[in-house]
Amino acid sequence: MEDLLDTSALIQLRVDGEFHELDVLAGRTLLDVLRDDIGKKGTHLGCKTGHCGACTVMIDGKVAKSCITMAATLARAEITTIEGLLDEKGGLHPIQQSFWDEAGLQCGYCAPGIVLSALELVTDNHHPSAEDIELALAGSLCRCTGYQSIKRSVAEACVRMYPANENIN
Amino acid sequence: MSLHPMYARPRDLEQASQLLASLSSGAVIIAGGQEIMPFINYGVMMPDVYVDIGGIKALKGVNVNDDEVSIGALTVHRDIQSTEDIVERLPLLAYAAQQIGGGWQVHNRGTIGGNIVSMHPLYDIAPALLALDADVELLSDKGLQRMSLLQLQNDSSHGLGSSSILTKILVKTMLPNVLWGYYKLKNSAGAYGSANAAAVIQMDGEKIKSIRIVIGAVSETSVVISKALDGYLGGAYTLEIGRAIEKVCIDAIDEPLSDQQGDGVWRKAMAGIAARRATEMALSNLTTSSIKR
Amino acid sequence: MIEDKKESESYVGKSIRAKEARAPLIGKAKYTNDYTFSGQLYAHILRSPHAAAKINSVDVSGAKKVSGVHLAICGQDVFNHTNGITDHLNPAIFGGKSTRLPCMAVDEAWCYGQPVAIVVAEDERTARYAASRIQVDYTPLEPIIDVEKAVAKGARSVVPGWEDNTLIYVPFMNGDTQAAFDAASHVITTDVKIHRFSSQPMETRCYNAIWEHDTESITLYGTCQNPHPLRLVIAETLRMNENKIRIIASTIGGAFGLKMHGHPEEPLICLMAKLLGRPVKWVESREECLLIGAREQQHKVEMAFDSDGVMVGLRDNVLANIGAPSACPGWGMVFLTGLTMPGPYKVENIDVHMNAVTTNKPSWNAARGYGKESTAIALELAMDNAARQLGISPIDLRLKNFIAKDSFPYNSPTGLVYDSGDYSGVLLKALETIDYQGWKDKQAAALIEGRYLGIGVAFELTPEGGTIPGTMVAGYDSSTVRVGPDGTVRVLTGITSPGTHNATAMAQIAADELGVDIAKIEVLQGDTNASPYGFGNYSGRSTIVGGGSVALAAQDVRAKINAVAAALLEVEPDTLNLVSGVFSSSAKSDATLTFAEVCYASYTRAYDVAMCIDPPLEATRTFKPPGIRHTPDENGRINPYPSYSNAVYVVVCEVDTDTGKIDLLSLAAAHDCGKVINPILVEGQVCGAFAMGLGGALSEDIQYDANGVQLTKSFKDYVMLRMADIPPIGVAHHDCPNPDNYLGLKGAGEAGVGGSAAALVNAVNDALEPLGVLMHEMPLTPSRVWSAIQNANNGEGVN
Repeated sequence: MEDLLDTSALIQLRVDGEFHELDVLAGRTLLDVLRDDIGKKGTHLGCKTGHCGACTVMIDGKVAKSCITMAATLARAEITTIEGLLDEKGGLHPIQQSFWDEAGLQCGYCAPGIVLSALELVTDNHHPSAEDIELALAGSLCRCTGYQSIKRSVAEACVRMYPANENIN
Repeated sequence: MSLHPMYARPRDLEQASQLLASLSSGAVIIAGGQEIMPFINYGVMMPDVYVDIGGIKALKGVNVNDDEVSIGALTVHRDIQSTEDIVERLPLLAYAAQQIGGGWQVHNRGTIGGNIVSMHPLYDIAPALLALDADVELLSDKGLQRMSLLQLQNDSSHGLGSSSILTKILVKTMLPNVLWGYYKLKNSAGAYGSANAAAVIQMDGEKIKSIRIVIGAVSETSVVISKALDGYLGGAYTLEIGRAIEKVCIDAIDEPLSDQQGDGVWRKAMAGIAARRATEMALSNLTTSSIKR
Repeated sequence: MIEDKKESESYVGKSIRAKEARAPLIGKAKYTNDYTFSGQLYAHILRSPHAAAKINSVDVSGAKKVSGVHLAICGQDVFNHTNGITDHLNPAIFGGKSTRLPCMAVDEAWCYGQPVAIVVAEDERTARYAASRIQVDYTPLEPIIDVEKAVAKGARSVVPGWEDNTLIYVPFMNGDTQAAFDAASHVITTDVKIHRFSSQPMETRCYNAIWEHDTESITLYGTCQNPHPLRLVIAETLRMNENKIRIIASTIGGAFGLKMHGHPEEPLICLMAKLLGRPVKWVESREECLLIGAREQQHKVEMAFDSDGVMVGLRDNVLANIGAPSACPGWGMVFLTGLTMPGPYKVENIDVHMNAVTTNKPSWNAARGYGKESTAIALELAMDNAARQLGISPIDLRLKNFIAKDSFPYNSPTGLVYDSGDYSGVLLKALETIDYQGWKDKQAAALIEGRYLGIGVAFELTPEGGTIPGTMVAGYDSSTVRVGPDGTVRVLTGITSPGTHNATAMAQIAADELGVDIAKIEVLQGDTNASPYGFGNYSGRSTIVGGGSVALAAQDVRAKINAVAAALLEVEPDTLNLVSGVFSSSAKSDATLTFAEVCYASYTRAYDVAMCIDPPLEATRTFKPPGIRHTPDENGRINPYPSYSNAVYVVVCEVDTDTGKIDLLSLAAAHDCGKVINPILVEGQVCGAFAMGLGGALSEDIQYDANGVQLTKSFKDYVMLRMADIPPIGVAHHDCPNPDNYLGLKGAGEAGVGGSAAALVNAVNDALEPLGVLMHEMPLTPSRVWSAIQNANNGEGVN
């Protein structure tokens, strides 16, 4: 059985569309691999216990906290970080644009995680209620905004992404 | 305790159990990692070996055999919340899984197996499963073993998480006439539970035929209360009976937890409040619509 | 005078979106931890597990043996390389005690979490592992955790050699309080307990120090609100010249006072870089961040009223548990709590005693409100209690006792000079915003159904822009405005941003003063080698002094540009118009010049048409708010604040009496921050502070066991509010511009933690009044509220 054991593991990640094959030490977090090995500094360390959500990325289209995800366990995965949301011309994603317009961020440290959580929400749910937004963002803390402008930003993003929403109320 | 721990990704259950048997000690089984990574990040845990069971197919999937639902240990909370067979057959479990903290990020990665193996007193899965009288299946050097979750909870020698693997959870489909409720008291949206209660009630017309309540987050392990409630069967539910159930549940807590979420006196009292509210939720027939898919 | 454009075309007053908000949204903002340099090493700090202990020996040999470790040293070795850390605010200046503040414990650990040894290694994991190999031999001492035990006669001194544990005692006395109390019709006493909660920004602290071999100097990238003053601290502590230190405060992920300097890790990490000649980084863990305390005070507030409900006297005796000595300015919060008494109330006779008491808890740092939030909590809980005892509505009692709108400038009994205000107007605006009467009706209807709704109101007076003589807490600041030969603008300022986007506010001001498109303006903050000397971000000062100094500098530059434009057009400067980047003159209808052409000429034609100016197009100016008075009056009092922002917070909640849980139903704030430069930014500040105050009042609490070991180590136990907890917040402005400051600014951002916390407590007491419950101890956790209800049921109403 000993041949199964190694101090590292081979993983294949497609990060924001770019392929990486990495040999990662056991115990290292996806957060560390993204930041230190791939240079995705937009993914932030806030607590390392999975409570704050600053480290949120998408794994295979679903949000996850990269600080409590062990990199070695991702044999093959598609990762989206905040740095992967811009369009081909470098323009902001409608959610990013809404957060900018509605001041859905101040210091910005939590913003990448919150924007990605909002993205997962609005991808499936084009007409989220206030309660839906609260549930989708329950995994993230923001210390600056009191959440008012964040909620506004997510609602506004839906209106922009799905213009038919304007008629609903 | 090692600076350079080893890692293994066994292919299947057989390989995993052989590997675990060959390791003397210090192995930690990992899948979603949501439970153990905080400890590893802070150096509280420094395992010698990680055994990653995340790729083992046999631990995945939800199946129905006759009236029994089999839930693979690797099923993540998000799937527990939304898988048709669970929502239809075990709505109490689906609802309790929605109450888990940490947000979608944790619901997308955290597994039902990890939740159970952690034996964390404040979690939601165990009370719901105990209310449904669930069984679990374990793989260890003794081979496959099936036991009730209650038995597992009361037995600390199973070596779960290091030498044995929780493979699946087996639950009988809830009968159509079974009412259920789950009430989680938490201090704020980001707090862990201070008192959780799951209630499963069978009615005979207007009369209560059976009632089973499980209290979580109030003591080290979940407390199952059924026999003590026998005295309240056979009649219709009234507020007096609600108060009486509350008292029975309070009395069932011997050593309440006391932590930053609240002291023991309050926790004990909240066991009763949560029980009554879970019961009222069950009887209100509002439950199935409360599951958000 | 030159007419640029109409008011409606100016940037000031509009919700201009912050340019600096784009980088974080695309993951490209550079926070301190995002910098990594060639040869980067990482530090891990071993901390004391005891609140008080003799350190008999520290054996680092085990750590040194770990492969990848470059340095492992103990407190004594660090001591030999350093001076004590220079105080941010030396208590001795105010008659308090002082002691040498080492970077690490040497012979004795005086709090849980105090640094004892440090390891520097190739990576963080190796450093942490190696630190676990260090052997420290401690002899635990009886810790002093409780503030009352600390001040008891015969208590052991936390700091060896001190005769008692009171770091500083400050009385604030005026009038004849004894006579006022003797003559009063009613005296109402309120015991208020404020717990330990801190600001916990999402980004923890991080320092990355580089030893510059060529110049034998240090560059420190740090999460730092005050780069220039920190430069002096590092220099003095490391026995270097101040001009050998460069601080770069990069993008900051929230600060709220916690990143004001004095932390031992600041010089310590610099020392590591100096000793090793390589870059050394340290990232604070959340557990470490939770060591930093603030606000823990107990008040005994006594209010004396005449038969009409007019306050005639105020007494307060305050014990503050400030933890172990520290070079951070946290202890000063206690001073400010006293200085801000009696807040917005017109009472001459006061007798307030502040005691900042040292214990074996970890020390404080500044936290949003800087003690003024505690004044608001103590006063506003006491006012509601008084209203209840006097049988007057809490609204009427406040309206009766507010300083009148026509009494400004107002001399407070502690020596402050309030610039302006309409406190009644702010209160009425807040009530209108929440629909106070509507909620009163709903409350009455709910009570019939057995539901307990409460409405709470609280006022917060927040003096802003503070300065303390003899310290590096300055009242002024400076900025440079530089217009390039292409007409683009660089603003350099001593003001830093903790993430509030104050750079955008400064750009709005610069754009209006220069008459240029805001897109042409870049603001640089936080680099001591680039910015003019400045004091950074604290005390709601950034837009007051940053904006003021930018305006003055921009006006100077604009005058130069106008002179050159007039010379080029051969007209008088006062005939010039600048519209959409084009100069024209009312004296010459056909000729125009672009702004950029004028700027280019200013640089290139110094010996002919631009002879009239001193090139380049650059000015550095300081704004010194005139309201500050450091010359003591006849009673020895000073006015360290130029500006007195104020606000009213209203909270509507429902209490679940079975569980004690509080649900928030509606929130509103009305505030007076003077002229609003950017409404969406100000609103963000109000809402953020509101949430922070509510979190403090409800659940945020840093707890210790009886031995002083910290129990609250993560966000599991330090529970901050999430989106679902907070209902919509109505925000209204009721501005009385400061007559002395540029554009009438008063400061926004610091205010709100105390007012919102107090409004919450008042709302809960209002809800539970029918049950006879009255609570003045925070936080209002469900278990505490439930216990109070049980006690009331048992006939012990007042808790």
